[in-house]
Amino acid sequence: MMTAVTAAGSIGRTGASRSGRRRRVALLPTVALVVGALYCIVPTLWILIASTKSPAELFSTETYLPSFSGGLAGNVRDLSSYGGGVYWHWMLNSFLYATIGGLAASTVSACAGYAIAKYAFRGRKLLFNAILAGVLLPQIVLAIPQYLLLSKVGLNDSYASIILPQLFNPYGIYLCRIYAAASVPDSVLEAGRMDGASEFRLFRSVGLRLMGPGLVTVFLLQFIVIWNNFLLPFVMVTSDDKFPLTVGLYSMLRHGADEAALYSLVITGTLLSVIPVIALFLSLQRYWRIDLVTGALK
Amino acid sequence: MVTTAATSRRRSHRLPYLLVLPAVLLFLLFVLAPGVYALVLSFQARKVTGGLLGSTSKVVYAGLDNYRSVLGDSALWTSTLRMVAVGAIVIPVTVGLALLFALLLDTPRARLVRFSRLSIFLPYAVPGVIATLLWGFMYLPATSPIGGHYVDFFGSTQVFFSVANICVWGGVGFNMVVIFTALRALPPEIYEAARIDGASETQIALRIKVPMVLPAVAMCTLFTVLAALQLFNEPNTLKPLSNAISSDWVPLMKIYTDAFVNADIYHAAATSIVFAAGVLIVSFAAARMVQSRADLAGKGE
Amino acid sequence: MKASHAGFTGVMLAGVLLAAGCGGSESGSTAPAPASGASSAAAGPVNLTFWDWDPNMDKVVALWNDAHPDIHVTLANPAGGDQLVSKMITAHQAKNGPDIAKVEYQSLPALVSGGVVRDITDLTKDTVTKFDDVTLKSTRFEGKVYGIPQDFAPLMLFYRTDVFKKYGIDVPTTWDEYAKAAADLHKKAPKVYMTNFDAGDPGWFTGLVQQAGADWWTTSGTSWHVDINGAPSKKVADYWENLVKSGIVQKNPSFSPQWNKQMNDGTLATWISGAWAPAQLGGIAPATKGKWAVAPLPAWTAGDPTTGIWGGSATTVTTDSKHPAEAAQFAAWLNTDDAAVSAQIENINVYPASTSGRSLPPLKSAPPFLPNQADYYDVVGKAAPSARAFSMWGPNVTVTFSSYTDAFGAALQSGTPFSGALDKMQDATVADMKKLGFSLS
Repeated sequence: MMTAVTAAGSIGRTGASRSGRRRRVALLPTVALVVGALYCIVPTLWILIASTKSPAELFSTETYLPSFSGGLAGNVRDLSSYGGGVYWHWMLNSFLYATIGGLAASTVSACAGYAIAKYAFRGRKLLFNAILAGVLLPQIVLAIPQYLLLSKVGLNDSYASIILPQLFNPYGIYLCRIYAAASVPDSVLEAGRMDGASEFRLFRSVGLRLMGPGLVTVFLLQFIVIWNNFLLPFVMVTSDDKFPLTVGLYSMLRHGADEAALYSLVITGTLLSVIPVIALFLSLQRYWRIDLVTGALK
Repeated sequence: MVTTAATSRRRSHRLPYLLVLPAVLLFLLFVLAPGVYALVLSFQARKVTGGLLGSTSKVVYAGLDNYRSVLGDSALWTSTLRMVAVGAIVIPVTVGLALLFALLLDTPRARLVRFSRLSIFLPYAVPGVIATLLWGFMYLPATSPIGGHYVDFFGSTQVFFSVANICVWGGVGFNMVVIFTALRALPPEIYEAARIDGASETQIALRIKVPMVLPAVAMCTLFTVLAALQLFNEPNTLKPLSNAISSDWVPLMKIYTDAFVNADIYHAAATSIVFAAGVLIVSFAAARMVQSRADLAGKGE
Repeated sequence: MKASHAGFTGVMLAGVLLAAGCGGSESGSTAPAPASGASSAAAGPVNLTFWDWDPNMDKVVALWNDAHPDIHVTLANPAGGDQLVSKMITAHQAKNGPDIAKVEYQSLPALVSGGVVRDITDLTKDTVTKFDDVTLKSTRFEGKVYGIPQDFAPLMLFYRTDVFKKYGIDVPTTWDEYAKAAADLHKKAPKVYMTNFDAGDPGWFTGLVQQAGADWWTTSGTSWHVDINGAPSKKVADYWENLVKSGIVQKNPSFSPQWNKQMNDGTLATWISGAWAPAQLGGIAPATKGKWAVAPLPAWTAGDPTTGIWGGSATTVTTDSKHPAEAAQFAAWLNTDDAAVSAQIENINVYPASTSGRSLPPLKSAPPFLPNQADYYDVVGKAAPSARAFSMWGPNVTVTFSSYTDAFGAALQSGTPFSGALDKMQDATVADMKKLGFSLS
């Protein structure tokens, strides 16, 4: 809190001196924003500090102070050797699930959204309402029967059992429909038809191309949903080499009855798991089209 | 290849069906079929027959037994109330903070905007289970850097705020970006007249900006209501850390405990069906409210 | 691309609907199929799946695989303890459980009742002679054997030698002395507590009531009697309620980061735990190596050596296994073969269940975390024969256990009587058994 105020204050001063004529920096809003930012990054900072501590130091040294005795390197080493390097397997799995699932789900959503937006066909209304209802169903309600049904076709404990149930993304279809309606003008399609282009070609080379930026957003949204998912993989897979990070870290925490949780490893694992997603978001930042989410109501 | 007008027209009839086919199949397979299966399970029960341990159990038709026991279970109603209590904190605080931060980001001459926007958005990329682990360490006196020695974050009342805080932490950023994007889409000219009239930035924010972004705020409210109804990961992960959270703290934990701890999928299925029905009703009501508010705002424009 | 995808889902849909159509009517398989090794002998090496959460179990399994090229065991660790039981039940519903699984004693009747675990009496006639009756009681019901005991964990008192010495506390031998020591200690050092009352893990509380003479489940013929809120249990509950109310015992759950910290920094001076504790202490409180010692559990009447049991597991064969004979062979090897048991003592720190296992060379030296106590296994070995278990665990222990966590958690949180929590557990347990159709008396 103190640091927030002083930091903002000093920035205020430099800002004022730089832009001579203009009024002072809006101090209050800046302070409020910085407080909000701190609220959001403090837990992450804490984990950064905690991950520098060796297991022996974690619960015996001052919470705020990082350790420089090489605890971080030791933790990363222990984490990498835990279960024969299974942690990195989890990270790879999470990426596979989220990337493949995200791509496939956005493809399915793009097709369905485009069709619903651009064609009048029988059952359209029914389909759209069913999709809307799908948004509202809590995942846990479906998880058990999904597991039992997938087991009956021998797909339990497989990569498919985690990816397949997440391919139907009602929200993605909804967004794609809105986005197709907004970004693919009927006049362009009509012109294409005049030129004798097939409907499929119009979809592929006009529809998908114009929807492109929106699809990146749909992909990123779905990527995060799968990346953050815990319950479905927890129910579906039993082999620890198929766990995503969420289930893997949770299993390390609740390893077994009467058994010490591996807190240092969980903390380090948590830190390492947050980094790649942040990197992904920073690098794809300019492709985010959140206005799509808002535009959904127009 | 030459395509005649006739085939092209026929194709145009076929294409939409082809395009929606994957979505329809996935819906049937992974939403409808499991839903129907859950419905079937909810009318069944496992009964043991013969022998001390009844290792020859069989599944029987149970009629409405499961539903009777679900609806008569006071623990389920209590857990629903807890969910509502957490929601009553999470929904206004998340949407309120998201709106506040979005307006602040949009304030001329505010600094550190980029840093703040990214920082506040960051928790969105942290899975709920992991976010809860993080906050668990924040709350427990032994490791708390935020005063857990003085405040009992797991007190009977405080625990609601502790759970709500994790949800808010994870949800504000995304909603803030949604509203901020809506603000950015507004043409700057609409503020000019007000500025010339000498209106303060606060007045502009409250009288012009807020009404203009109401549709986005409504959308955010809907998102947050939906998330609150699915409250599970946060309390479930916090549970081993304290005595304050029971195995049926919220309805979804009750379903989880029934299905995966007490191995009674039939009872869990009935609870799921009851809960899903309730959620559908509430969500449709919320969606309708959001829609009508958006219409209102649209008319105001 | 699109078409093939649609085709694939179409096939899936048909498959699932078909399967859904004929499923759902049966479950809980009946008596195990006649076990015969012949079915698999011709088909080359047999592959078995083994679910187990012991750290380093892979090293023990590797020993088996090296020596048995014809029976390959694959180790998986889907979850631990009670979570693994849930996984096994769910997997069994879909008929694809593992071949072999580690099961804690208290969960075994539930898994037998659910038809998950197989009767291996005929496959283990020689093996069972290597265990004493106290141990075997946990896996043999109505004369049928459902698992091979892996480890045995009498409840012991672990205490901080440095803390006891600093504040002049003697090692308590009775519960009266324990309470007095707790009060004395907290008075001398207001930040130090004798221990914590753990509402998070029912296992240690059941160990305590076993010592006090409780029998939560008893049977006569094919009917059950449930007595969770009887006099012995209430005696234990009242004793601890008193300590908690006096503020000389902490009330946060064990195995949380909070508790780890308190175990590390000396806030908690004792830990009532199973014989497996030294292995766990290394992970819980690495900073306290060499500072702990073990003593027999305090007694209700001076000189009574009776103790309870916390944890302990058996290796079971499932009804889903297609190779029960090979699976039983592995379970027997794991728990009676000298090399296998020695490897478990060294790598997993188990205190063996088999009689011969208890005199193996690795048990002659102190566990690594308690280098100061060379006679560790002697002390444990003396307590083991006096360990008293329930005459039988109920068929729905998970319900009782989750009720324990909820009821005692609420009692601690709101300061209501512990005996009321026992009543809630009794009610929940009886209601669930009635619902399942067990006969109760």
